[in-house]
Amino acid sequence: MNAANPIISIQNVNKFFGSFQALADVSLTVEAGQKVVVLGPSGSGKSTLLRTINQLEEVSSGSIVVDGRDLCDPQNDINRIREEVGMVFQSFNLFRHKTVLDNLTLAPIKLKKEPKLQAEKRAMELLDKVGLVDKAASYPVQLSGGQQQRVAIARALAMNPKIMLFDEPTSALDPEMIGEVLEVMVTLAREGMTMVVVTHEMGFAREVADKVVFMDEGRIIEIAAPDHFFDAPENDRTKKFLEQIL
Amino acid sequence: MREKKVVIEVGDGAAIPDPEDSGLFTAWRISFFGTLAIMAFLVITKPDPYLAILKYLPDGIVITFKVTCASIALALVLGLIAGLGRISKNRFFNLAASTYIEVVRGIPLLVQLFYIYFALGHLVRVPDLVAAIIAMGFCYGAYMGEVFRAGINSIDDGQTEASLSLGFNRSQTMRYVILPQAWRTILPPVGNEFIALLKDTSLVSILAVSDILRRGREFASESFLYFETYTMIALVYLLITLVLSKLLSNMENRLSHYERR
Repeated sequence: MNAANPIISIQNVNKFFGSFQALADVSLTVEAGQKVVVLGPSGSGKSTLLRTINQLEEVSSGSIVVDGRDLCDPQNDINRIREEVGMVFQSFNLFRHKTVLDNLTLAPIKLKKEPKLQAEKRAMELLDKVGLVDKAASYPVQLSGGQQQRVAIARALAMNPKIMLFDEPTSALDPEMIGEVLEVMVTLAREGMTMVVVTHEMGFAREVADKVVFMDEGRIIEIAAPDHFFDAPENDRTKKFLEQIL
Repeated sequence: MREKKVVIEVGDGAAIPDPEDSGLFTAWRISFFGTLAIMAFLVITKPDPYLAILKYLPDGIVITFKVTCASIALALVLGLIAGLGRISKNRFFNLAASTYIEVVRGIPLLVQLFYIYFALGHLVRVPDLVAAIIAMGFCYGAYMGEVFRAGINSIDDGQTEASLSLGFNRSQTMRYVILPQAWRTILPPVGNEFIALLKDTSLVSILAVSDILRRGREFASESFLYFETYTMIALVYLLITLVLSKLLSNMENRLSHYERR
C-alpha cells in the first residue's frame, strides 16, 4: 500500500454534538482506488465520519484532506470539492420535482455548464449502467426503493466524482431490492472507483472491501483486511459485534 | 422513507371547497348558487334599486382587483425575502426579517393603512391607489413571509443534503431544489391569502380609493338606500370569493397530481 499519497486523509478528528462526542480522535487514510467499508453498531459514529468527508458535518477539531485539499481551510471552496465526492444516502433523496433524467442532468448542466444534449447523453449512459434507461422520464415517486437508489447512484456519478461515499445505501430497502443496488456497487468497485461505504451488508464487505474499519462509540476500534477482520478479529468488541450479526 | 408531513394552517381566507365532498349538495354549491339566485331574484323583482346598484359597482370591482393583484405581487416579493430571512443563518438578515414580521403582525391592518398612507404623504406625493397598494403589500408581505418559511421548512433536509453533496451552494440549492418543491406546499396558503387580501382591500375605501365598498357608499349616501346597497355589496364580494376559492382548489388538484401517481 502506498501510504504516501492518500486521496482521503483524516487526522485526529473530533466531533461534538453539544456535549455528545460523536467522533473521538479518528484517523483514517484512503488510497485512490481503495474500497473501505465502515462497520459498527448504530450510534457508533460511522455515518458522522462519512459525512465529514464532504463536510455535511463540520469537524470540531482535527484535519481532513481530500485530494490534496484541506477541507478546513476556508481558502478552499467546499462546493468544488463536493463536486468530486459523490454521495449516496440511505433515504435516496432524489429531487422529487424532477424526472429521473433531470435528476441526473441538473448538476452537470448548472455547475459544470455542460450543454444539455451532452449531459443527457451521459445521463442515459449512466442509466443504462444501472439498468434503468426505460425510467428516464419517470418521477421518483413512481419508482421502487431499489430503483430510486440506483438512480441516486447514477446521479452522483453524473458529476464524474473521484470518490463515492455510501451512507447505508441498502438500509431503507425491502430485502428483495438490496441485491440490485449491491450489484451496481460491486460493478462500480470493479471499475476502480474509490469508495467509502457505511453498511451492514457483511457479504458486500467481504467481497469488495480492501479494508474494513470497525467503529464503536465514536472511535475506530480496528482496521483490517476483510478476511482477517471476519475470520480472526483481534479486538473483543469486534468479536462481540460479529457474533451478534453473523 | 422519512418525510415531513406539514400542513400550513392559515385561519383566514375563504374555506377551500373540500375535494372529498363529491355529492350534489356541497357547501360551495349551496353558497354559490344560493348567492346567484338571491341576486337574480332581487334584480328581477326589484330592478329599482338593485339593478341600479349593480350597474354602479363594476368600476369598483376593477379597482378592487387592481389593488388585490398589485398588493399580492408586492407581498409575494416581500414575503419571499422575509421568509428567506427568517431561515437565514446571517444574524442581521434574520433579525431584520423577524422584526419586520413581528412589527407588522402587531399592528391592526387599518391602523397600518392610515399610518403608511399619511407617512408616505409626508415624504412623497403618490397617488392614493399606489399608497394603498404599498400599505396592503407591506402588511401581507409579513404574513406571506411566514407562509414561505413554513413551506421551505416542509421540504425534507435530505433534499438539501443531496443538493449540497453534488456541489451546489446554499442559494443554488434554494433556487433549483427547495423553492420549486416548496411552491406546491405554499400555493394553497398563498391562494388563501389572496382571497383574504381581496376582502381586506375593502379597507382602502377609507383612503379615497374607489373600490367596490367605496362605490357602494357613494351610491348609498346619494340614495339613502343603505340596506339595499350593502346587501348587494355583500353578495358581490361573496360571489367573487366563491369563484376564486373554486379556481384555487382546481389549481391545487392539478398541482398535486404527480404526488399521487
